[in-house]
Amino acid sequence: MSLDLKQNYFDLFALTVQFDIDKAALSAAFLQLQHQWHPDRFASGSDEERRISMQNTSFINTAQTTLSRPRLRARYLLELADVSFNDEIETSQDPLFLMQQMELRESIEDVTDADDPLDALDEIKADVKQQRLALEDAFQQHYLEQQLLEAKQLVLKMRFMERVFSEIQRLEEKLEDEFF
Amino acid sequence: MALLQISEPGMSTVAHQHRLAVGIDLGTTNSLVATVRSGKAETLADHEGRHLLPSVVHYSQQYSPLVGYPAQVRMAEDALNTIASAKRLIGRAASDAKTLAGHLPFNFVDSNASVPRIRTEGGDVSAIEVSAEILKSLKTRAEQSLGGELNGVVITVPAYFDDAQRQATRDAATLANLEVLRLLNEPTAAAIAYGLDKDAQGIIAVYDLGGGTFDISILRLNQGVFEVMATGGDSALGGDDFDHVLAEYMIKESGQTSTQAIVSLALMEARRVKEALTVHDGVETSCGHWKETITREKFNLLIEPWVKRTLLACRRALRDANLDKDEIANVVMVGGSTRVPYVRERVGAFFAKPPLVDIDPDRVVAVGAAIQADILAGNKPDNEMLLLDVTPLSLGLETMGGLVETIISRNTTIPISRAQDFTTFKDGQTAMTVHVLQGERDTVEDCRSLAKFTLRGIPPMVAGAARIQIMFQVDADGLLNVSAQEMATGVKSSIEVKPSYGLSDTEIETMLRDSMTNAQADKQARQLREMRMEAERTLAALDSALKTDAEQLLDATEIETILQAREKLADSCKLDDADRIELAMKSMEKAAEFYVARRMNSNVQSAMAGHRISEFK
Repeated sequence: MSLDLKQNYFDLFALTVQFDIDKAALSAAFLQLQHQWHPDRFASGSDEERRISMQNTSFINTAQTTLSRPRLRARYLLELADVSFNDEIETSQDPLFLMQQMELRESIEDVTDADDPLDALDEIKADVKQQRLALEDAFQQHYLEQQLLEAKQLVLKMRFMERVFSEIQRLEEKLEDEFF
Repeated sequence: MALLQISEPGMSTVAHQHRLAVGIDLGTTNSLVATVRSGKAETLADHEGRHLLPSVVHYSQQYSPLVGYPAQVRMAEDALNTIASAKRLIGRAASDAKTLAGHLPFNFVDSNASVPRIRTEGGDVSAIEVSAEILKSLKTRAEQSLGGELNGVVITVPAYFDDAQRQATRDAATLANLEVLRLLNEPTAAAIAYGLDKDAQGIIAVYDLGGGTFDISILRLNQGVFEVMATGGDSALGGDDFDHVLAEYMIKESGQTSTQAIVSLALMEARRVKEALTVHDGVETSCGHWKETITREKFNLLIEPWVKRTLLACRRALRDANLDKDEIANVVMVGGSTRVPYVRERVGAFFAKPPLVDIDPDRVVAVGAAIQADILAGNKPDNEMLLLDVTPLSLGLETMGGLVETIISRNTTIPISRAQDFTTFKDGQTAMTVHVLQGERDTVEDCRSLAKFTLRGIPPMVAGAARIQIMFQVDADGLLNVSAQEMATGVKSSIEVKPSYGLSDTEIETMLRDSMTNAQADKQARQLREMRMEAERTLAALDSALKTDAEQLLDATEIETILQAREKLADSCKLDDADRIELAMKSMEKAAEFYVARRMNSNVQSAMAGHRISEFK
């Protein structure tokens, strides 16, 4: 009476294995599985029932998080296609991209000197958002054409952008604290 | 822990049998217990009809702790042995307690224990044990009221409680022998009480103004997922401030000097006026010779600064959640101080919509917890409601250079487990320290340390060859378990930790054993006390009888015999031995037998008035 914890995340939610997923279908399948397996349903059940429910929902939650976040979904697709990742060592080696990254970080640092730092930061934020969408589109193209190594490079770039984005958010909070 | 299991879960379940489940609001000032009966959620009263239980416990040398109103009465005369506001301390480290010590009138024990302990005449106690006493009292109330043993409880905690505070609350429940079905966030419970979980989606603001604390929480409901988007507030702001400002005004206007006695009288009067003003536009008051009708306008003006401060906190919480006021679909009012019309008015104006006030704001959290408990106990198999919670803060590990590597990021739906591999950085390294942290910052000193433990027995290998898997597991209550395992050689050694501010299972076991021993001692103390009172009653009745008719009914030798027995009984009362008193009582009764018979015969009815025959039987 347990879920198959070896199945792939797309199968779990009855979705087609592809980057462009049906978000509504994911959400509906996720809730249906939660209704079935959430620990609250087994709050007064046996120890074994509670353990299984905990394992199943952990699996469901991990699968849902992975599929709903574009970078994690992209990476998972490549892993399913036997492309491996080594997070501690691998980064993007694209010199043009790295140059852009440096410029981006410099412009974030300069924000504090702007007339209205929060406005300046908003602009950078909008730009980063655009770039992230562009990376996702590019990944979709390469993945469809089975250019997996190119696709992997895009996933590494996505991680760069994700870090920049959280850096921006932290700076935003800090600026707000000073401002208000 | 087998020791704690009252009934094996799942074994006693008779099909369709209603399982007794309650919701408990374990509050800073007051606590409540509620249940669902005949489809209706209601709070349970004590035998005197009072629903609120003051969260106060009094400890003494001889007797078991007093909880609630009797303990509150002792606050003034015996402050150091009367523990109130234990919730402010639960799950806090000893170092946190020191900063709080100035605000709390406790005698902290100076020790190296991770959990701060308070010195009382009844022994050193932690906030966990104090809370356990409150929970026990509510458990007894519920079981008497419902006529059976409880199958499970849902206990509410503030949304901002971190892992250590949640763990400590759970430990308190374990000590009170309660099976916790779930810990529930207080604002979520309030939203459930109003049935807001039935909406498909929407953003809810929960405004909670109690006697001494203010909390604002912004929740997002999305297809059954309640997510806490932001919390804020002020732990030193509440309805008590309203009483103080009004009392100060009254003393000043009446031209009296603020002595202790006058201030406490004025505070009582202020509280009465405040409560009366919720229904009347003006209330007559006096202080000394001074008389005035306090109007609502006057009162509103006085409390304005405090109300404004709550609204500033609301504004801040909205900004933290990145929301505009008009995105709030519902505003739920919690806490007794939201009865003040001006508070309702200003909150309504701020959010531009009337707040929800139909459910008693003191009871709304307990009511929501009861609804959830009823569902979790399995009494509503067809219920569609499902609450999915998220981790409020990120959880991670210390890595090289004092940096924090996030393992589970905040707002991840729980339960969740996530493993990450680490390796050794020195040749022949056989041990590795795992430091678990909670928080959003990159550096160790900016995050909260939850636990630290060392994995030993790693087989010596060259640096980087060992594979150590660290597993983080967060259950549906948001409680974290961390385990580490060396995997490269197939040799498995693992360790599990709970947050260091909670209590370990062994500590809980020790406490439970202690409390069982104490229960035995308590029982004996109670017997002794009862026996002593019985003896004293007998002595008083005898003395009064002797005074009335000893000379008419008894000769000198007879009086001497009775007086000797009387002496023995009086002496036995000085000993701490119930059996000896009982023995002396019996001899006394025997010695006075003929006297009692003679009194009956001589029809000295008047002397018997006010005494039960049984006293002399």
